[in-house]
Amino acid sequence: MQRIIAVIENTFKEALRQRILVLIGVFSALIIMVSIFVTPFALGEASKILRDIGLAVPALLGVLVAIIVGSQLIHKDIEKRTIYTVITRPVRRSEIVVGKFLGLLLLILVLQVGMAIVQQLTLFAYEGAFDLRLFIAFPFLLLEIAVLLGILLLFSSFSTPTLSSIMGVIFFIIGHASPDLKLFADQVNVPLFKYIAYGFYYILPNLENFNYRLELVHHLPLYTDQVLYSIAYGIIYTVFLIYFAIIIFEDREFK
Amino acid sequence: MPSHRTVTYLYISIKMYILLRMIPAISFQNITRSFRDHFWTRKKTVIRDISLEIQPGEVFGFLGPNGAGKTTTIKIITGLIRPDSGHAAVFGAAAGTMAAKEKIGFLPEAPYFYDYLTGDEFLKIHARLTGVQDITRRVDELFSKVDLQNARKQRLSMYSRGMLQRIGIAQALLGDPEVLVLDEPLSGLDPIGRKEIKDIILQEKTKGTTIFFSSHILPDAEAICDRVGIIISGEILETGDLDTLLKKGIEADRMTLEDWFYRQIKDRQK
Repeated sequence: MQRIIAVIENTFKEALRQRILVLIGVFSALIIMVSIFVTPFALGEASKILRDIGLAVPALLGVLVAIIVGSQLIHKDIEKRTIYTVITRPVRRSEIVVGKFLGLLLLILVLQVGMAIVQQLTLFAYEGAFDLRLFIAFPFLLLEIAVLLGILLLFSSFSTPTLSSIMGVIFFIIGHASPDLKLFADQVNVPLFKYIAYGFYYILPNLENFNYRLELVHHLPLYTDQVLYSIAYGIIYTVFLIYFAIIIFEDREFK
Repeated sequence: MPSHRTVTYLYISIKMYILLRMIPAISFQNITRSFRDHFWTRKKTVIRDISLEIQPGEVFGFLGPNGAGKTTTIKIITGLIRPDSGHAAVFGAAAGTMAAKEKIGFLPEAPYFYDYLTGDEFLKIHARLTGVQDITRRVDELFSKVDLQNARKQRLSMYSRGMLQRIGIAQALLGDPEVLVLDEPLSGLDPIGRKEIKDIILQEKTKGTTIFFSSHILPDAEAICDRVGIIISGEILETGDLDTLLKKGIEADRMTLEDWFYRQIKDRQK
């Protein structure tokens, strides 16, 4: 455990000390705050717009950070040979992979908490009251990012950062188009296409499972079974991805 | 007359000593390793059928020109790569296993460290990875040993080459390892830096640590080693104590090690 914590700490510090992250963080916070000035043009939809932007920005921020940092998470360590002094210690390779994953997830959690606070303060400045129900969106956002990070880590363990980040973006887009894929599969009449579409639908991550923004912005009810399904889906999918990343990393040599 | 019990203890101690002496600190048995640049190119053998044994407490200099296979051999002991055939072990434990890694302190060639960390953070994180018990005390000790107390709070990106090499030695010593594996510990350093690193290695030698280090510079080996092995083009040419080797081949012709390497390589190419 001590060893995993050491890797988490190292990963967290590494990511935190990259200037680009601070820049993205500050910029995101600014967008949320500035959204207040858009409200006069919103024609009565101001509170909806504030909530929409307040939830969309942290989601984009998280995905951006995950892709930028996650795609080079393991690769950079190998490329710069900094991993030599880590891997030759009495540390299991699985501990390194898990530590790196958790370290970056922790960083994104911290960023999300920061965004959530900025968002609430902005709402308070405009409406004079907090909307704490919006906080519900964040654990699901984190689950979505965990799945995405898992994908990035998997690719990062054997390919280049460029390819990993491209795959990250592709999986992000496909993941959100997943319901459309299902719709296509349901409606298409050619059996071959139907099976292929279903196959992809079940194998690729369905990131829309974690999207509760609509319900939260419009004050719609949330259903327990759906919420539990999302949580289980996110955790199981992530564990599988990390498991595969570990298998690949265990076998890797450092030439 | 010594009592029966004393005799038994003595007998067991001698037996243990012999047994311990029989397990080499590092052993290579018929190690071969080849690489290919791309999947369509042919495999190139980097080390061929290397067998070596280094006894506990011995300081072994692994000498050879650039590209001879020194780093590849070192990577096999530390578990960074696996041999195609043969077996490498550290105190009997297969290289790369947790048991083997627990016994090794490793300094890579021209080490690159996490340069966003301060020296202090760097050693502390590595101490936790190594499983050091009293981290604060051990890290303090090592900072004074490598004389970097004043640079503790500086980021590694601000460290000079010599300072990096010293903190590299410090991280290798963290777990008080039984075997120190140092890849070119003295290359790229100025005379003062070399002296400092040599002194640290000699201190470890007096403590009885087994040291395996690679170099392509003969005077380094002279100053530190009990025994050397000479590797050229992936094959071990000679092993033995340096004096004998010097008398045998190198100094007889008043050659430097470089000249000798050069002649050997040219001979092989013929």
